Amino acid sequence: MKRGLLSRVRVLGLGVLLLAGGLLAGGPGRGLRDAEAASQPIKIGLLYGITGFAAIYTKPAIHGHELAQAEINAAGGVLGRPIQYVLRDDKSSPEVAVRMANELLLREKVDFLTGTLASSVSLAVSEVARKNKALFLVTIGKTEALTSDKGHRYAFRVASNTLIEGRQFAELEKGTPATRYYTIANDYEYGRKMIEAFVDHLKKVKPRAQIVGQAWPKLGETEYTPYITAIQAAKPDVVMNLVYGDMFIAFAKQAKPYGFFEKTRVITGAEVVSTEMAAPLGKDMPEGILGNSYDLFYWPDTPEHKQFVKAYLDKTGESFVPGWAIQGYIGTYFLAEAIKKAGTTDTEKVIDALEGLTIKTPIGPITMRPYDHQANRGQVFGVTTHSADHPFAILKDVRYIPADGFWRDVEEIKALRGAK
Amino acid sequence: MDLSIALNQCLSGLTRAGILFMLASGLTLIFGVARVINFAHGSLYMLAVYLSYTFLRLFGPGGVGFWLSLGAVAASLALIGGALETGLIRRVYGRDPLQQLLLTFALVYIIGDVVKFVWGITPKSVSRPPFLEGGIPVPGGSFPVYNVFVIALAAAVGAGLWLMLARSRLGWLIRAVAADIEITDALGVNVPRLLTLVFMLGGLLVGVGGAAAAPLTAGALGMDVEIVILCFIVVIIGGAGSLLGAAVAALLVGLLESFGILLLPQFAVVFIYALMAGVMIVRPWGLFGVPGRS
Amino acid sequence: MNGSASRCRRAWWLLAAVLAALPLAAPGFHLRLATEIAIMALFAMGFNLLLGYGGMLSFGHAGYYAVGAYTVAILTRKAGLPFASAFLAAPAATALVAWVTGFFCVRLRGYYFSILTLAFGQLIWGVIFKWTALTNGDDGIVGIEAPALLASPAGAYYFTLLLTGACVALLWMIVQSPFGRTLLAIRENTERTQFIGVNVNRLRLCAFVLSATFAGVAGALFAPFDGSVFPSFAFWTRSGDVVMMAILGGMHSFLGPALGAAIMLFLDHTITAYTEYWPFVLGTVLLCLVLFSPAGVTGLARTVAARRRAADRPA
Repeated sequence: MKRGLLSRVRVLGLGVLLLAGGLLAGGPGRGLRDAEAASQPIKIGLLYGITGFAAIYTKPAIHGHELAQAEINAAGGVLGRPIQYVLRDDKSSPEVAVRMANELLLREKVDFLTGTLASSVSLAVSEVARKNKALFLVTIGKTEALTSDKGHRYAFRVASNTLIEGRQFAELEKGTPATRYYTIANDYEYGRKMIEAFVDHLKKVKPRAQIVGQAWPKLGETEYTPYITAIQAAKPDVVMNLVYGDMFIAFAKQAKPYGFFEKTRVITGAEVVSTEMAAPLGKDMPEGILGNSYDLFYWPDTPEHKQFVKAYLDKTGESFVPGWAIQGYIGTYFLAEAIKKAGTTDTEKVIDALEGLTIKTPIGPITMRPYDHQANRGQVFGVTTHSADHPFAILKDVRYIPADGFWRDVEEIKALRGAK
Repeated sequence: MDLSIALNQCLSGLTRAGILFMLASGLTLIFGVARVINFAHGSLYMLAVYLSYTFLRLFGPGGVGFWLSLGAVAASLALIGGALETGLIRRVYGRDPLQQLLLTFALVYIIGDVVKFVWGITPKSVSRPPFLEGGIPVPGGSFPVYNVFVIALAAAVGAGLWLMLARSRLGWLIRAVAADIEITDALGVNVPRLLTLVFMLGGLLVGVGGAAAAPLTAGALGMDVEIVILCFIVVIIGGAGSLLGAAVAALLVGLLESFGILLLPQFAVVFIYALMAGVMIVRPWGLFGVPGRS
Repeated sequence: MNGSASRCRRAWWLLAAVLAALPLAAPGFHLRLATEIAIMALFAMGFNLLLGYGGMLSFGHAGYYAVGAYTVAILTRKAGLPFASAFLAAPAATALVAWVTGFFCVRLRGYYFSILTLAFGQLIWGVIFKWTALTNGDDGIVGIEAPALLASPAGAYYFTLLLTGACVALLWMIVQSPFGRTLLAIRENTERTQFIGVNVNRLRLCAFVLSATFAGVAGALFAPFDGSVFPSFAFWTRSGDVVMMAILGGMHSFLGPALGAAIMLFLDHTITAYTEYWPFVLGTVLLCLVLFSPAGVTGLARTVAARRRAADRPA
């Protein structure tokens, strides 16, 4: 008994020591915050799934952030202060993202939050931002809910959204003779919302269209053979695909010997035809599929775009600019310009400045719609083709489809939010 | 559902079953002989897939390169398996089985980060060798040649294992240790060396399975956690320590996944765990296991 | 005897004082960390009732934690019930689920027990994941709020501390009681205990349900604290985390798992700032513990203390 008591004392003592140590070792962020000291950097929390199935997209996005950051800081920073990104891995898990967001806001004391790729993550972090009254600028997460029924003052988005994307694809199908459609999308927020938008709009522009089947592999799935055979058995005219990242790599490889992409016309969202997907797939990237991307390193041929491409290649030493880099780039500039316009890093004032703000980007001017905080971000569409000039597939028949005409009307959003 | 659809689902299920069998056979062998539940089995599979990527780049993607790479991966994993046993697992043999579980659990964390450190975070993809490209015409479409190869390989591995265990001296010794380790030791058999060999064999099997699976999937972080649960399910349903059990259970799980996706997509995820729980409640030692062995 | 008893009492008072004064000294993030540690300590100590005292290794305990968390989430956000009712319903719901699953688990021994708990844990995860109408699936349920008094960082902290303290006191009474002693006996030698007429399975089930209920309370505390719940709460790797905490701290000590929780959370928050290879560090720590100090940190402390005492003693 004596020994037991003594050990318990030691345990308690150790516990107290730990607690004290934890408090003292608080490190950066503890104590008072120097709000406007000239040399203090503007800290921006950056959240992405650095590990996990989205890594292939987040890595270039982060490079895009860094490129913009370097350019801005070289030109003197924002309000004379440099931008500092504090990066955290959310592992594409909403639970981890919430923890990281809280840590960024409460311990690192970041001024703003940005990033997030997975739609479920974007929604979860949006809630943390709302609770803490912190500005959250989403660069990739596409679920339309973020800026409509679940939208609020503190959430912004510079990406396209699921409603825009779904409607754009349906619109493209308007003139085609196809009637039998099969959809395959990962079973989570993004997949469900986009397919819903696609099917809704398809039925409007092509009443004869039939959805002959829907496949919902789980997020992170790498085993697609059963889905491939099931889809082929239904004999669709068109397959609408949303499987992306690592998952699409597995899907494409497994589907190829079935002649899947030759036998059915495939259209694919989720930026699957971007260069960073085409590169690892090499000759396994299917030929002739219609897809979208945020940016192509070879299009458009404007001076601003060429300058962006050159700057990126010089900074990273890579051989091509991946499609995602531009989102990190644009996101950073939106924040920077808004802070400049507001003249302060005070969140409420920056939000006011951000609403309705138009900035110049390598692909032309983009505006942040004031009511719902959704930027008018369209995407480039094209068809994959293997060419001798590049070791991977590129797109032909490229065109940019804007968000106007596809995004939800402000009146509708007001009604949705009011109905809550 | 007509015959051709059923046939295609069957064949795709068989491919999956083939891979699962090769992995689960290693796991069940290790458990049957050393009574170790190797949580790190999925991590070894992940290592095998990533190593395939490296070796294929080294040896080239042609036919010769493919076989060389397969051999190299199998050998590497065999060595790793043996090293793990001699270096780490051996130290916890006599102890509480809890310790073994925790040790292999720790290895999952460690190996996962080692892979991340060596190969980075972007997914690694390898292609099929050219001589295994294309499809075989079957009613309703075509079935990939490579998948036929995987099924054939799994069958060959299974047959080879069975032959080895039933007919060879090594197999006889392994079965002896599995049946009663103390008496076998008392009879003068070098049990520690045999245990190392079993782990090497387990590693070899994982290596072959991983190398075969590599062209079908993507090498990505997190695949270790996913596959180890499936391997567990196969081993439990089949009966820990039974090779036949592993084969039958792998077939069951592979076909279930295939048809489940077609017939009951909403419940696929839940169903597989319900099945595992069900088997454990009704018949904990699995289909072909030995009751009382724990 | 007097000296060590009063020393022990003094240590308790010191700890209580430090804990009570924490909100004044440590604002924001650290207070949150302390609250989280308290919740996880409760989870780990409840878990250890089953492991350290009962000798049963459950790999599905995160499932019960998730049931507690989701009960609060669903009842407040979907059914519109007041927080108090939801919070009281959580341990009841968890106990019910644990009773059903535990009924089957406790009949098995050794590895089989562990694997069946794993299967049930995953089953719970699967249900949460797929029953989107009830749980929102992998979007999780967000915007869970506690009543205003408990919503502030200090309020949440004190509430958690009080409840955790009460549960720990309860746990202490359980392990000191005849029930607790019998549990230890079952762990040491199941057959003998059976021979003297103890209904082993019934007692194991009791321990199982109690242990799971504490996990459910921890989950119910976490839901309003973090504001959101996700299916990943129930995934088996989370169960693995709590096993780690118990082993790290020392499963043969009453407070060991609490210490393990504190160490793990503390390390998790500090180390991730310096390296992205946190799992490697964790794995290596666990490996070293298993190889060299299976009784965890407290075991290590005890060994050191015992050696010193032996050295002090005259030959």
